[in-house]
Amino acid sequence: MSAVGPGPFFQSRDIPGEPIKTRTAAIEKSAEILQSFKPISKVHAHLCAFHFYAYDMRRQVEAHHYCTHLSEDVHQCLIYDTPNKDARLIGVEYIVTENVFLALPEEEKKFWHSHEYEVKSGVLFMPGVPSIAEKMEMKELAKTYGKVFHFWQFDKGDILPIGPPQLMMALTTDGQLDEKLAADVQARFNVSFDEKRKERADLEGPLNGVHPSANSWRKGMGLAPYVSEVDCVMTTPQEMSRESSEL
Amino acid sequence: MASSHEEGGAEQKVVGEKVPLTTATVEKGAKLLQSLTPVKQFQQHVCTWAMYSHDMNRKIETHHYAARLNEDLLQCAVFDSDQDDARLIGVEYIISDRLFLALPEEEQKLWHSHLYEIEQGLWVNPGVPEVMQKMELKKLAKTYGKFWCTWQVDRGDKIPMGPPALMMSPQEVPPGQIPEEMVHNRDAKYNITSMQLAQNRADIAGSEVMHTMADYWKKTGKGFVVGYKEVDIALGAGSPLKNLS
Repeated sequence: MSAVGPGPFFQSRDIPGEPIKTRTAAIEKSAEILQSFKPISKVHAHLCAFHFYAYDMRRQVEAHHYCTHLSEDVHQCLIYDTPNKDARLIGVEYIVTENVFLALPEEEKKFWHSHEYEVKSGVLFMPGVPSIAEKMEMKELAKTYGKVFHFWQFDKGDILPIGPPQLMMALTTDGQLDEKLAADVQARFNVSFDEKRKERADLEGPLNGVHPSANSWRKGMGLAPYVSEVDCVMTTPQEMSRESSEL
Repeated sequence: MASSHEEGGAEQKVVGEKVPLTTATVEKGAKLLQSLTPVKQFQQHVCTWAMYSHDMNRKIETHHYAARLNEDLLQCAVFDSDQDDARLIGVEYIISDRLFLALPEEEQKLWHSHLYEIEQGLWVNPGVPEVMQKMELKKLAKTYGKFWCTWQVDRGDKIPMGPPALMMSPQEVPPGQIPEEMVHNRDAKYNITSMQLAQNRADIAGSEVMHTMADYWKKTGKGFVVGYKEVDIALGAGSPLKNLS
């Protein structure tokens, strides 16, 4: 297997595996024409933002969100590492309104992060969308909460999606975002976070303020995944044998 | 915007009212301006089943939208239906046996084989004539999948709750079998007969090397659950504690 360089300048040649054969491509093209892709065609927006691992803020990654508006209260997004043809599907994010978030059990809230800072600081943006249209989306987004899992740790050079799902978090205040990453993204997408910050100064976060149970890491508590072996058929919780093993 | 909320008396599947027309219009405008390239790479829709690794009697019908990254690797967005209002329930990665065999044993335990569901006609590409799909199926029969389910819709969750769940694939032994009724209902929807497909697929073969840790439950009766434990958060030198608030 060839090595893969971390970061956004990933090329498909870095992934192990042969190039797609012409025959494979032809078969898949015919299937594509015959099939309907309704759930995919509902994807309406591309948002670029940053995520970091819920136990390690030093590992920050660029995340390209492709989102569907499922109901007034719920968005669902596919997360990719780049906006390109050979992008890796690295995770999923769900975005809910404040009301839905507030109704979640306390135990569930710790998995979620707020969006207020990302929106107001300008670091979250929609490539190719003019400010006015973008701001209409941002107005609602600033009040929401998100829950993200990444399955492919490309930032540490994984050439395949190995290990357990990683809970991810988002930035909450100035001074957290990796400066190099910020400069790189702004240059590549020809955007200015500072300008967007000014444009969005009047936007407001959640009506009740950012809930203290979201962004769990701010209390110094990181959340790291583990995998436990259990019986594959549920009997009763008491009968469940557990053998923890860390991956 | 078509949605289950419009169907009279239909059970609400997602929390929240349907998206207002004004919002939908604004979103359509944004869509025209953005290229959405990664999601234009999906080439096939596969309908099959999966079961929770930690509770294999819970079986769900899945709709995989698959994109090929290269000859050895596909990535799939998995939904609970093939309709406009489908819920995104997870992601599956599919790799060739060649790549799978190079994985460490601990990692192999999280993967499942595809031979059985393909040869039984459970795995189908709705709308595609079997003869066109045969060559692709022959190749996929030798692959392994790793499927993380992030939204447990079968237990009635109207928003995604808890950690992701590892999913396993249908197999010939209990609790890996798919009940006839489920197969019948799916077949009726697409006007196909899985049993007939199975006959046509009799010549499809799996990987030559089958003694792996995939389908771990078949050998051990064990599955896996994911949890998140509290650890100290690592902050970078550039992220002093004063930036915590």
